Amino acid sequence: MLPFVLYFVTAMFTGYHLYALMSLVVYGVPVNLLELVGLLGAFALLIAAYISLFRPRAAGRVALIACLALWCFYAPAIANFVRARIHKPAAVSELRSLKATALWTGASPIKGF
Amino acid sequence: MILVYSAIVLLILATAYSTVVSFRHKPEDAQPSWLFPERPKRPARIIVGFVTLVLVIAVGAWIKLNVANPNTQNSALHSYRFLIPEGYTGWVRIEFEIPGAPALPIQSSHTMVKIPPSGTLKTSSSEQYGAASDDYASYSNDTVRPLPDSGPEKRVWGKITGELQGPGGNRKYEEFFVGSEQQFKSQTLPPKPKE
Repeated sequence: MLPFVLYFVTAMFTGYHLYALMSLVVYGVPVNLLELVGLLGAFALLIAAYISLFRPRAAGRVALIACLALWCFYAPAIANFVRARIHKPAAVSELRSLKATALWTGASPIKGF
Repeated sequence: MILVYSAIVLLILATAYSTVVSFRHKPEDAQPSWLFPERPKRPARIIVGFVTLVLVIAVGAWIKLNVANPNTQNSALHSYRFLIPEGYTGWVRIEFEIPGAPALPIQSSHTMVKIPPSGTLKTSSSEQYGAASDDYASYSNDTVRPLPDSGPEKRVWGKITGELQGPGGNRKYEEFFVGSEQQFKSQTLPPKPKE
């Protein structure tokens, strides 16, 4: 059951995170194509979880492809996040940083939401 | 942030695990371990299938009860219909939660916001938040004409939602400019609210 649990929980966490980010579209935030690719990866990982109940090795391959799709979003996002943290030039960047954090966490910087 | 960190940690684990499972050469006589177990037994698969089915039904029921059914939706959330005096040009301001002021009426799923000729409306109603498509119209004695808020004939600009802290408590307001693009650009800043 380990592969099922691992793939399932990962799909749920990443899927919910990407869904939260994409739901900001109602507030005018444009959808990034990489978010769509990542969401597709989360869905594929969910499928891999169920395949693992029957064919663990085949599920591993599907899960690997799904993870690569997810990394298409997470790798640049992590790189940008780390770069923003390291090269934090001045206090003026606080607002930008706050906005980036809000987008990163799926929260909205807009009052009332 | 804990969701993001958890997602990344799980993704790293899932990537590493699926890579090893995909590429490792399993010897013929290899015993199943906790890390690379055999496929689950039939009862375990049935339990997983049953739990999934229950989960799908529960989510479907939740969506039907809370999202799809208009009777259970937040009845307070209506899109605004702003009625602006014919020929009005300038900033329009709506001040919310003003004690003693009239409440905003609701007509056919729209919250009607009739702006007086002064351009400032005070209401006791609360400001609504959420996704909704507001529309704008100009009114004269008998006629109501739609006021475009997009496209080349756009007449509504610079919508602002704000909150001021003052001695009388917090004041929530909404402002936008009515006029041509040129008029808006020549008068970008809204007038300062009076305390």
